Amino acid sequence: MSFRKVAAIARKEYFHLIRDFRSLYLAFFIPFLLILLFGYALSLDVDRIPIAVVDHEHTPESRDLIRRLNASIYFDVVLYPESTAELTQHLDGNLAAMGIIIPPGLTADLKAEKDSPLQVILDGSDPNYAGNARAYITAVVGQWNKERLVTFLNRQGQEPVQAPVEARIRVWFNEELESKNFIVPGIVAIIIMIVGALLTSLVIAREYENGTMETIRSLPIRASEFFFGKAVCYWFITLVDVLVAILMGQVLFGVVMKSSFWLMILASMIYISVAISLGLLISIKTKSQLVANQMAILLTYLPSLLLSDFVFPQQNMPVFLKLVTRIIPATYYIDILNGLYLRHLSFLQMWQNFAVLAAMTGILLGLNIRALKKEGL
Amino acid sequence: MYSEAVSVTDLVKRFGSFTAVDHVSFSVQSSEIFGFLGPNGAGKSTTIRMLCGIITPTSGSGHVSGFDILTESERIKRSIGYMSQKFSLYLDMTPMENIRFFLGIYEVPTNLWKECMEWVFHATRLESVRNRPTRELPPGWRQRLALGCALLHRPRLLFLDEPTSGVDPITRRHFWEFIRRLTGEGVTVFVTTHYMDEAKHCDRVVMIDVGKIVAMGRPSDIIRKALPDKPNADLNDAFVALMRRSTP
Repeated sequence: MSFRKVAAIARKEYFHLIRDFRSLYLAFFIPFLLILLFGYALSLDVDRIPIAVVDHEHTPESRDLIRRLNASIYFDVVLYPESTAELTQHLDGNLAAMGIIIPPGLTADLKAEKDSPLQVILDGSDPNYAGNARAYITAVVGQWNKERLVTFLNRQGQEPVQAPVEARIRVWFNEELESKNFIVPGIVAIIIMIVGALLTSLVIAREYENGTMETIRSLPIRASEFFFGKAVCYWFITLVDVLVAILMGQVLFGVVMKSSFWLMILASMIYISVAISLGLLISIKTKSQLVANQMAILLTYLPSLLLSDFVFPQQNMPVFLKLVTRIIPATYYIDILNGLYLRHLSFLQMWQNFAVLAAMTGILLGLNIRALKKEGL
Repeated sequence: MYSEAVSVTDLVKRFGSFTAVDHVSFSVQSSEIFGFLGPNGAGKSTTIRMLCGIITPTSGSGHVSGFDILTESERIKRSIGYMSQKFSLYLDMTPMENIRFFLGIYEVPTNLWKECMEWVFHATRLESVRNRPTRELPPGWRQRLALGCALLHRPRLLFLDEPTSGVDPITRRHFWEFIRRLTGEGVTVFVTTHYMDEAKHCDRVVMIDVGKIVAMGRPSDIIRKALPDKPNADLNDAFVALMRRSTP
């Protein structure tokens, strides 16, 4: 392989890039936009759940419950409908995600030490959201019960009793339970796929469409020289995008990486190589920019988004899909990033992920060279 | 040193069940203009692409500049110049940038770059537009740039696939004068065309139709042999006569 030929191709590729508005836009504007969109809009945290409360009682007890709900960061009592029918309207109109009906006689039942049902209606359209809301309301009501019990016992002149078992929960790895802490690493993985694979999927197809592939074929260029000449420019651009994404994650969202920066760069470099090899392979095989672009979205961007454990947890997927996730590069890269961002893991604890990504790079490189040789290089 | 710049024997190229080139044998002498004539779809481009090492023959053998066309395609590509039928340089780059790309690919030593560039710009008369985007150049100028790029590394053997198609008569005359000068410097030129009248510029020609050679030799000899009783006939008449004979 001749370094001078690789340099000549890389230089030519650089000219194409800086003179093509679409490529520039894809390389520099899209990553910026994505990190803003994902970072601000895609929050998986459930808090400030809007509640509508129908209070048939208006007693100190019912007001105490409403106060407690409002005091919690998870709830926001936004509406006080007069009747159940009105509550239904609010739930239908999506003005509230949860309805609470304090039935007439609740206070009397409480005082009489009878069963005192409190009706809670949940909007289950988003099961994940509803599940979280249910857990929160159960906790608030449980706490209320517990405190009432203690007051009652005190009034009776008895020793306050403690519940025999109390779960003391400590959250590890993402102490604040904030989704942005794993969303930012996920965006980095998506950006690499978009810039690395989507952008490069165009570059060889373009040579076919413009007829310049015939020139390339007639010149003394080896498959490896052509491949590296094509890849090098986009490789560096993607790396720059990664650095920008990390910086934006820190500045805008306060997501700070806890482990080795260099380990993160190493992982990114390998993953970028995978993305670019994939994009170039698609480009050689499809020979058309339009088809290549769609293939790249289908084969690189969507799986990285949907199956990589970024948005949807892999634990909940059926066995077949779990197997599919094993061949998606983003799975391994996001695992490394979570290890670095949240778990503070060392290289030795994650070397398998690095090894898989490196092996993928090797296989894709081989496939690229073979495909180019078949094309007459 | 080979006195034959090109020699091929029983060259065959099939694409699936279609035979584009069917047992073609010929040889090209050093510093001659060798014409490869035939109608569109006769197999001219397929043959030239096999000779340039772009595609591999289905069967047959041959040498180009002393290198085996089956096994030494990279050395062939390094030693020849090739201009394809369709313009295929980079339109978003200037002539200067295109030329620099070729200089890099042919690994011309950097200290010779300036000299090479000046020579090419002078020979192709593109000095005034060297920094204009190639997209803005008229077709004839682009064609000269393509020729310049193919000559940049001073190959001893030049392959031109339909170099004059779509070019105006004046440019065409300039082109043939230029080619004649090149052969005077010892360069061998292999040129395909479907304009029979252009064959008069060639020292020797091969006529090909549906993948098979129908005539070979000096243009005047071919005419005399095909139509001995018509002294004023040209190659076109000869070609038509030969066609009639081969298809009963």
